[in-house]
Amino acid sequence: MNRSLSLVALLALLGCAAEKNDPAPAAAPLVDPCAAALASLPGTTPQDREIARVQEEARQARDPSPLLERLGWLLVARARSSGDEGFYPLARQSALCLLRRRPESFEARLLDGHVLHQMHRFREAEEVAKRLVRERGGPFDFGLLGDAQMEQGRVAEAIGSYQRMLDLKPCLQSMSRAAHVCWLKGDRTRALELIRMAAGAGSRRDPESLAWVHTRRSLWELEAGSETEALAAAAEALSLVPDHAPALLARGRVLLGAGRDTEAIAALRPAADQRPLPEYLWTLAEALRSAHRIEEAERVEAELLRSGAAADPRTFALFLASTGRDAAEAVALARAELANRADVFTHDALAWALAAAGRLEEARPHAERALSEGTREARLLYHAGALAAAGGRREDARRLLLEAAALQRLLLPSERADLERRRAVL
Amino acid sequence: MHPRKLVPLLIPLLCGMAGLVAASSHMDAPLITLDDAANTTDVYAFVSGTPEQKFLTLALGVYPFEEPGIGPNKFNFDEKVLYELHVALGNDLAAGRATISYQFRFETRYKNQATILQSYLGVIQDVDDANQNLTQTYTVKKVDRRGRGRSTTLGTGIVPPNNQGIATPEYNTNAGEGPARDGVASAAQLDRYTAQTIFTLRDGYRVFCGQREDGFYADIQAIFDLLRLRGAGQARDSQGGFNIHMIAIQVPVAELGGDLQVAGVYATTSRPRVTLRSSGGPAYSSPFVQVGRQGNPLFCEGLVAIQDKDLYNRTKPTRDAALFRRYAETPELASLLNLLVLMPPIPGIETQRTDISAIFIPDLIKVDLSTDRARFAGGGPSHPTNPDDPGFSRLSIFGGDVLPSPLSGGNVAGGWPNGRRFGDDVVDIAVTALISDLRVNPPIIRGPAGDNVDRNDAVYNKVFPYAATPMNGRNHPHH
Repeated sequence: MNRSLSLVALLALLGCAAEKNDPAPAAAPLVDPCAAALASLPGTTPQDREIARVQEEARQARDPSPLLERLGWLLVARARSSGDEGFYPLARQSALCLLRRRPESFEARLLDGHVLHQMHRFREAEEVAKRLVRERGGPFDFGLLGDAQMEQGRVAEAIGSYQRMLDLKPCLQSMSRAAHVCWLKGDRTRALELIRMAAGAGSRRDPESLAWVHTRRSLWELEAGSETEALAAAAEALSLVPDHAPALLARGRVLLGAGRDTEAIAALRPAADQRPLPEYLWTLAEALRSAHRIEEAERVEAELLRSGAAADPRTFALFLASTGRDAAEAVALARAELANRADVFTHDALAWALAAAGRLEEARPHAERALSEGTREARLLYHAGALAAAGGRREDARRLLLEAAALQRLLLPSERADLERRRAVL
Repeated sequence: MHPRKLVPLLIPLLCGMAGLVAASSHMDAPLITLDDAANTTDVYAFVSGTPEQKFLTLALGVYPFEEPGIGPNKFNFDEKVLYELHVALGNDLAAGRATISYQFRFETRYKNQATILQSYLGVIQDVDDANQNLTQTYTVKKVDRRGRGRSTTLGTGIVPPNNQGIATPEYNTNAGEGPARDGVASAAQLDRYTAQTIFTLRDGYRVFCGQREDGFYADIQAIFDLLRLRGAGQARDSQGGFNIHMIAIQVPVAELGGDLQVAGVYATTSRPRVTLRSSGGPAYSSPFVQVGRQGNPLFCEGLVAIQDKDLYNRTKPTRDAALFRRYAETPELASLLNLLVLMPPIPGIETQRTDISAIFIPDLIKVDLSTDRARFAGGGPSHPTNPDDPGFSRLSIFGGDVLPSPLSGGNVAGGWPNGRRFGDDVVDIAVTALISDLRVNPPIIRGPAGDNVDRNDAVYNKVFPYAATPMNGRNHPHH
């Protein structure tokens, strides 16, 4: 039984809800959150050992409150490093245990809000954040609020929240959010400037955060046209966290974009092994196909088909629509995601799924919304151009597809091929 | 009076966002914890020089726990950070308001970018020679708020190379293979790199910015390990073997208006303000946002509660009375001492500690400028080439180290809390003060109490820049 399954089994046994978008239960929780938070977990990594150590200290301590908070954040970090989202509900139990002991604890509420956000329970996270902002107004309170607003597509509000965070504390966390906003709004130059500043404000003692920042920089450097800088940034991330899955994915995408399929596979395979999420599996499958390793690609796609809908419905919807598979399911998944997460990428996924289902008129407003923030991202532009072409808007299509073509190194090989086909007929 | 052990503190452990690691002294405030380049370690302030040319020496350490030799290109001053040392004079002292601020901004350049050798192209003979690739320079400005708040450029300087080993032999013994050289007693004996990077600026200011050994010493590991302290001979300097980056400036006392006064000193680090909105936002008074602050040692680490550490770091000392006075007047550490160690508990030390708040509120290091220069620590009382100055005590006034003060008409502490010198055992001084009662006359002195780490792991310089030679990346205690 792999790690995520064992955790899910544990959660099922304890009666905890581990689903995304699960509304807060009206009834009392079935289990004692403190017992759940302090239940021993398997694992032998240094992080696992640290979790076990803190759990033991918390069991013995007269006042375990600071230890419960630490435990919660350790579990969040474990979720990020392992890609196993089963750690998030456990982190939430730490927060709930702490809240039971200290109902007004700001630290517990921030932890709770962060975990809710990671579990895609954005509205609940927003409520937690709003209360924190009202009652404390710390930089990370505004950060959480901005994150929740951003995921729900309320970019202007998110900018306001992030600005408050920046005004209180220019740090890695706030500057990387600012960088993302700039990128989202189409200002890649400023995004790169800010992400470099974010890296400068980091520490090798928090290698995962720094690695994440360098990983973002890697993809933006590639967008800016510098494969060398993109690979260097990915290398910097991997020097900090050698098996950092997002950095391996970024490296793989850079190499795939350069046609270095074998090297790309060497990076993408371990990334997908660590995090068998649609984004990782799809990219690996494309790299394998590009390298004419069809049987391997099909095995990866089979795994993606088995797990994708539950793991990441939005990306899975894109995969289904892009590969001409079940367009109806793609529409259903994307529409369900939009109800919770109304950002530009979800609008794009729905637009693409609707287009795959032949529902072009329904797709159009979503495609327009996908570009409404000014994001100059390859896939958004490619999809919008394709839809414009399909809708007979040739000038729009030429413009959008030309812009996508300039960024095509960030598209998957099949997307690049489709892009070129569509441009050729315009 | 029997020495008492430092008692368990509640550990200010992890707080904040995913990925943050346990706090410890030098990295205490939750949300400053991992911004190394802007994270202050210590501030030093003391009288130096001669009666004819007296200085207020100021120093700020940043980059806690710099591992020697780890990536020579990794530990540099951050160009984006505004590093400041502030001096409060006259009425500004009680208010916690900076009268004069000394601002340091850094720039980085490379002599050769077409190489993977970021810092050293060869053995560095002289600072900024052809073999020092990455080179940082800095500009020092003075902002004097007496009158119109004029900003004056005092001058510029160059940062010496970090100590890597063979590439930087002048710091070390045995041509770079051996440990870093001990600190020295005269300027003529300083290693070449350090000597070459002490700059005299306009108006008699002297500056140095560069890597140094971390001169703070305490058994932080034991203190933060549920205060399970180690005995004499077993206790360890947790900062031992680490470097920091230090900014030091000698301010002519004449520039401050003379020596018949007390000056207050603190430091801040700030990062550029980032604005996302192109219009419609608030008008900002400064292009920088303060992210770190430090005055006296141990205030934020040992007295301010976790929930307020970040607030401390982003506020000015002008707000200390309103925001943080309670932490000084009702020090939790004193309660823990009574609860966990002292048998019987000492009455009256837990509350109404106006003596403690007089030190920390506002959190400026107060320096009596009227005294002769401070006594300096070298390598201990018996060091063969660089002993401590006669009369120096790591325990300052609790060790009999006092200085006559023409300003007060009596004696004042020779070290912290009258200024803070390299070599002051601030942990032992603080705990001794807490279990004593300085509110009465004569004061009741109990202790000394401490953590059984009674000296630094390296030999200080007794000349500017005072901090010890940076640890050799090739040969240091962590190996």
